[in-house]
Amino acid sequence: MNIIITGLITGSMLALLAISFSLIFGVARIVNIAHTAFYMVAAYCIFSLTGKFGLNPVVGMMIAVVVVTVFGLLAYKFLIDPIREHEAAVLIATIALAMIFQEAVMLIFTGDYRTVSALIEGYFIVMGVKVFFQQVLTFGVVLVVLALLWFLLMKTKLGLAIRSTAEDREVANLMGMNDSRLAMITMGVSVALAGFTGAVLAPLTVLSPYMWMEPLIMMMAVVVLGGLGSIKGSFVAAYILGFTEALVVFVIPKGAFLKGSVALTIMILVLLLRPEGLFGVSFEEER
Amino acid sequence: MAVPFLEVEALTKSFGGLLAVNNVQFRMENKEILGLIGPNGAGKTTLLRLLTGILKPDSGSIRFQGKQLVGLKTWDIVNMGVACTFQNMRPFRRLPIIANVMVSCLSPRAMKRGEWVKVVESKAMDALEFAGISDMALEKASTLSQGDLKRLEVARAVATEPDLLLLDEPFGGLSPAETDLMAKSIRRLHKGGRFGRLHSEGPAMIIVEHKLQQLMKIVDRIIVLNFGTLLAEGKPDDVVNNPQVIEAYLGQGGGQ
Repeated sequence: MNIIITGLITGSMLALLAISFSLIFGVARIVNIAHTAFYMVAAYCIFSLTGKFGLNPVVGMMIAVVVVTVFGLLAYKFLIDPIREHEAAVLIATIALAMIFQEAVMLIFTGDYRTVSALIEGYFIVMGVKVFFQQVLTFGVVLVVLALLWFLLMKTKLGLAIRSTAEDREVANLMGMNDSRLAMITMGVSVALAGFTGAVLAPLTVLSPYMWMEPLIMMMAVVVLGGLGSIKGSFVAAYILGFTEALVVFVIPKGAFLKGSVALTIMILVLLLRPEGLFGVSFEEER
Repeated sequence: MAVPFLEVEALTKSFGGLLAVNNVQFRMENKEILGLIGPNGAGKTTLLRLLTGILKPDSGSIRFQGKQLVGLKTWDIVNMGVACTFQNMRPFRRLPIIANVMVSCLSPRAMKRGEWVKVVESKAMDALEFAGISDMALEKASTLSQGDLKRLEVARAVATEPDLLLLDEPFGGLSPAETDLMAKSIRRLHKGGRFGRLHSEGPAMIIVEHKLQQLMKIVDRIIVLNFGTLLAEGKPDDVVNNPQVIEAYLGQGGGQ
């Protein structure tokens, strides 16, 4: 039971992170290493807003998402956009960005572990296992956001623009798609989702300036397993890895440190056996 | 003198040491249909890609309705009224056919602000109707046959309501019957009028094509490229009988 709950929550979190990461990669071919750093910044935002300024946690969450989105857009405008044609440079720039965030957080909040209080206290017991209301809440909210995201992608004009550009940027341009503006919007959506993930997860986790690294690895593993650029793939793969991680932790209690390596092993196996992932489409030669 | 509709001057583009387009210049009038022919590798497709801004020329200028296109982004050029189709079709394979066309309908040129998805969708439907593949609108684009893919290309281009339409081998890979259909569509489009919600002013066209027989029936004028340079220009009949042109075609394909 515990495995299911942890698996569901980790899985949903990974799904959100991986899908938002794929979004910006698909549209603009930006590998945003700083993606989970935005998630960390959001968590710290909430920590300081609720802890230091005593704001209502829900208000704190909203502000955190907005702040992170603004950070993301500024980073895109001034750091990524000028060098967007050079993919390697973008990669390095986002690594640098992640480092900057990490050090900034270290300076402001020091390296101590922090926690954020839950939105609602209490728990109920199912089959002898404590389920905290906060866990249910987080899971529910994440599902709602995933549903909204699906609606955005499949049913709106912006979604169509994103999906078409992700598939063939040149053709989309030829049909009058302003891909520079679209990339900016997508970056906003993508980073907002990362921030949101950080916000809803903050009460369930421990905050530290290095908290971005582990989800980054897991997120990459999800993206590889699901197939780069496949939203459905990311979704399924996120839950597979979420449950795997939970399983590893519960089955070998002393092996909790192994969970990262299990994810990486899966990632390497997938790369060897099926490089396009579960649902991925192998990329055609760029013309 | 009035501003020429399209004026290409001293346009040059090279890839490494290869001069793909060499000092090409030509003009065209509004509503004119211009055939662009030449042996394989003569630079026809490169010329089209220069016109749409996918490639940047090394030098030269392209003026469309008096405005310089060189240096503009592809999407800006499209929104000024230039649309094109691809020689080897490139649909969004993972999207339904209707969504393929809806993408063009999203361009600022085709859309007034605040239109709902439904409006965009019905416009796209009209474009498919025009191209004659509306019955398959909901299928994935990857299921289409060669001929239908060509028509999808046309539908996508038409949906931006262009003033200048660039068609790269619209008859390529089509059966004779399909070719006739396509030629009919092109002529109908050129006549102009309303196709459902879409409006056609009867765009000018540049058509790249190897099937000369069909091409001759449609075009007003032909220009011939060979090794990136302009070889000949004129009325279809004159051009085909031009010894230099015959030489160029036989020279590359022929028996030596």
